[in-house]
Amino acid sequence: MLSTLQRRLWAEQKKSKHRRIWLIPFAFFLFEALWMIWQFTSAHTEELTTGYLMLFYDLPIINTIIMPIMVAVIASRLCDMEIKGETLKLLYTLQEPESFFDCKYLAGAKYLFFFTAGHSILILASGRIFHFGYSLKISMLIEYLAVTLCTSLVLLALQQMMSLISNSQIMPLTVGLAGSFLGLFSLFFPAPLARLVIWGYFAAFPCVKMDWDRATRITEFYEVPFPLVGFLIFAVFGILLFIICRIIVTRKEI
Amino acid sequence: MTHDNFPCFIFDMILCCIRAERQKLAHSAIFPACILIPVIPVIMGTFNYLQNIEILKSQWYSLWTQLTLFYSTFFYAPLIALYCSYMWRLEHRNNNWNVFMSAPVHISCLYLGKLAVILFVTLITQFWLGILYLIAGKLAGLPGLCPISIYFWLLRGTIAAVAIGALQLLLSMVIRSFSVPIGIALIGSVMGMLIANKGLGLFWPYSLMLMGMNSNKSTDSLAGNSLVFAIATFLFFLLFFLVAIKILENRDVQT
Repeated sequence: MLSTLQRRLWAEQKKSKHRRIWLIPFAFFLFEALWMIWQFTSAHTEELTTGYLMLFYDLPIINTIIMPIMVAVIASRLCDMEIKGETLKLLYTLQEPESFFDCKYLAGAKYLFFFTAGHSILILASGRIFHFGYSLKISMLIEYLAVTLCTSLVLLALQQMMSLISNSQIMPLTVGLAGSFLGLFSLFFPAPLARLVIWGYFAAFPCVKMDWDRATRITEFYEVPFPLVGFLIFAVFGILLFIICRIIVTRKEI
Repeated sequence: MTHDNFPCFIFDMILCCIRAERQKLAHSAIFPACILIPVIPVIMGTFNYLQNIEILKSQWYSLWTQLTLFYSTFFYAPLIALYCSYMWRLEHRNNNWNVFMSAPVHISCLYLGKLAVILFVTLITQFWLGILYLIAGKLAGLPGLCPISIYFWLLRGTIAAVAIGALQLLLSMVIRSFSVPIGIALIGSVMGMLIANKGLGLFWPYSLMLMGMNSNKSTDSLAGNSLVFAIATFLFFLLFFLVAIKILENRDVQT
């Protein structure tokens, strides 16, 4: 016997059938895989010795560029069917708006979870294929995956809210695009200012930093302690943002 | 149906389509996007320029490198994709495909009408970027006015939009999702940067934009090759235009 939540999640699953939403994260995943191959096939042997450190430094920056748009596209694809079909009136008679928002969110979160899990396979496979010098620190991998998943989930709540309240998807997609821009540039901001840009949080909790010597032109990657407290504060903020987004959507007149 | 002056008749039809498309865009959310998005790279680029002013010595050209570094590499094509998705979204909704396909004009005029409006909005975007660049330069304390070559690069970037506009219109026409073509444009742009770095930019449409705008370069990377660039842009436009027309002629009306 399926529980109510399971049935509602199943309904979301059925609504997404034949929409090939999985192709979106898959295409982005494929792009990152190609980028890694290109990066490491052109790398010198001595660069490969710090391969994992290089990955944990570069991937958050790549994520800052591509993930805000990927999350905006997934949220838009999931929510636009309700806007186009004007189904909210009917749906809200069948289930509570809060539950609808939660199920929609979980449907989107599923893709982000698999995308992030795919990253771990990509990182491990890179190490094996390109024979990185040092062994992989599992704690670093977990920290990287936690930051990527948590930031993308926070963005998903924001994008889902915008996709559900706007009749045209142009606003959420513009915000996703602008967010990608802001996130990238926030990496150049002083830390207190950068903390105001949530799209830049993919790279806000680094476990690896880089030192580039201008005179010798040598790049050195080194490990730094993971800012756990800052990350937990961000996670709490993410939960609050989710609740606010849910309230905004459920109070919207349909 | 016979017409004594067939080219003029076609031209009239295209003008009719452009007028119709412009009316569809009235009060749309495209214009806020067109105004707001370029503001971000200008603020960030100027900020970055001022942060690194001791190593960026080429004044207006250095500011240009910072401004276009991310704008033309990552965001210009997705912005055009956003415009294209919006244009087709209107047809994908509320049975508008029926009206669209049964309009008393040739199918190519409908497509060219949409493309013309996209180019008009892109021209506004680029013009606005040029004004912002000038303001940012003055605020950053740069002397005189910016070199005329930079406005030529802006125009060249706008010409590259013909190929990308045609491609994105095709994608948004075939893919009935608003957002997926924008994601494709982003991936295409990032790949465009890698392909342009390998010297093969003329063979990849998304590279044309950053090559046209001379992204992140203070000397003209297309010096002496502007004609080849224009030919590549035209060929890509022709390819995507013909594919789109072929699809429109052969597909059944979808609602």
